[in-house]
Amino acid sequence: MQSIDAIKPIKIHVLPAGPNPWKPVLILEELGLPYSLNFISFEDVKKKPFTDINPNGRAPAIEDPNTDLTLWESGAIIQYIISQYDTNHILSYPSYALKETHLCNQWLAFQISGQGPYFGQAAWFNVLHPEKLPSAIARYNAELKRILSVLDGALEGRQWLVGDKMTFADLAFTVWNDRIEDLILCEKEKKFEGFPNVQAWHERMTSRPAWKKAMEKREKLMDEHGLLPNGMPKGFKSHGEFHASVEAKRKAEAAEVKE
Amino acid sequence: MASEEPSIVLYTTQTPNGIKISITLEELGLPYKVQKIDISKNTQKEQWFLDINPNGRIPALTDTFTDGKTINLFESGSIMQYLVAQYDKDYKISFPPGTREFYEMNNWIFFLNAGVGPMQGQANHFTRYAPEHIEYGVNRYQNETRRLYGVLDKHLSSKNIPYLVGDKCTIADIAHWGWIASAGWAGIEINDFPALKAWEDRMAERPGVEKGRHVPDRHGIKDLLKDKEKMEKHAAENRAWVQAGMKDDAEKHKGKK
Repeated sequence: MQSIDAIKPIKIHVLPAGPNPWKPVLILEELGLPYSLNFISFEDVKKKPFTDINPNGRAPAIEDPNTDLTLWESGAIIQYIISQYDTNHILSYPSYALKETHLCNQWLAFQISGQGPYFGQAAWFNVLHPEKLPSAIARYNAELKRILSVLDGALEGRQWLVGDKMTFADLAFTVWNDRIEDLILCEKEKKFEGFPNVQAWHERMTSRPAWKKAMEKREKLMDEHGLLPNGMPKGFKSHGEFHASVEAKRKAEAAEVKE
Repeated sequence: MASEEPSIVLYTTQTPNGIKISITLEELGLPYKVQKIDISKNTQKEQWFLDINPNGRIPALTDTFTDGKTINLFESGSIMQYLVAQYDKDYKISFPPGTREFYEMNNWIFFLNAGVGPMQGQANHFTRYAPEHIEYGVNRYQNETRRLYGVLDKHLSSKNIPYLVGDKCTIADIAHWGWIASAGWAGIEINDFPALKAWEDRMAERPGVEKGRHVPDRHGIKDLLKDKEKMEKHAAENRAWVQAGMKDDAEKHKGKK
């Protein structure tokens, strides 16, 4: 394997208030790989030049100078980092352990298509949407609980999702799980109530130095750009007020372009 | 393969996520058995199925693994990655691991599985199945689905490529096809996206797509979308079990806060 000193820092574009960019950052921290964070604001993520990097206008995206590869979608990025750099299989299984390899990818896919989108919709209807729509809130809160119950069942009697060691599949779930209280506005202590296996598993990962380092970097980056730890910009009273101001700014800019 | 009995068993239903896998298997020319899961009867929540997929969703797939034992797989994106890694040695519908195209292919698979699928699924829910009509919910998810279609349309047209990763149809295209083909069900007008529409037609001409889309039952969405009355009847039938399922899930996790 390449010596770590010979690896040039991987550039990772993050919108720090969002959970998804921190999934690959956590993987990079656990592997001890060099990387640089590039802050993308909520206003800039949907327009050029960033959309030349990710046409979907979402973070994270990476640019790896070692391979000259630009990549987006956090799941694809994680699979790339693992296959390219985890050659000692610290967070994965060697490819001859085919079963474990595919099972890791299976749980990553579940994170990507299940936990991420549904937790995100729960946050939208609980927190961000200005109007309270009880049936929509109930729908996504129930789905959030259902996903936790699937994980809790899978972790029954075991420490990790695949085999007997922590892998990228486990780590991929931490960032969203860590913020459940902000997503559905429950008490922090009660967010895993009924799911003791998930709670123990989550704490097993978030007590590690890599998690702490990633979260310190997040907080620092947020602070530098005037954001509170919960993602709210300083000086705004609510997410609604902030989003209204972003929307107003966007409209003003669009009007300027037309003129 | 030692036995004549196919070692692959696909557990599926006639949905966009289900036909991804049957199309992949047909494109690869692999023998497989089909076990139909009746989601209107909650077969996917029976214990024997949960032992295969604890998430209680289709598709799932079992195969005799290289060690001679059974491997259980779920999540359509991961099943597709498994099938090409194990069986697509000539790279008919994939690219060699480690190549730029390989990573780009995975990029679009995740885009579908984390973006188009969940968002168009929510558009279906609020357009067709929700217990009450919430205009905001309909608009939110139809708009997001349209935005994602726009990303695909622009990608195909600006690069002037026939498939998502260039000249070759890959699992990234197959993953998208069932969803794009049922755009109308989510209230999306596919003709607003000409490059994507042309891609959809191009895909439909492939024998593997034609064969795989009719698993386990006939792929009837295109006909359904032409007949308003039939469409409403179909939605009403599904609405009943979707809402029953939601209620059931909510009950089960009550008190777990």
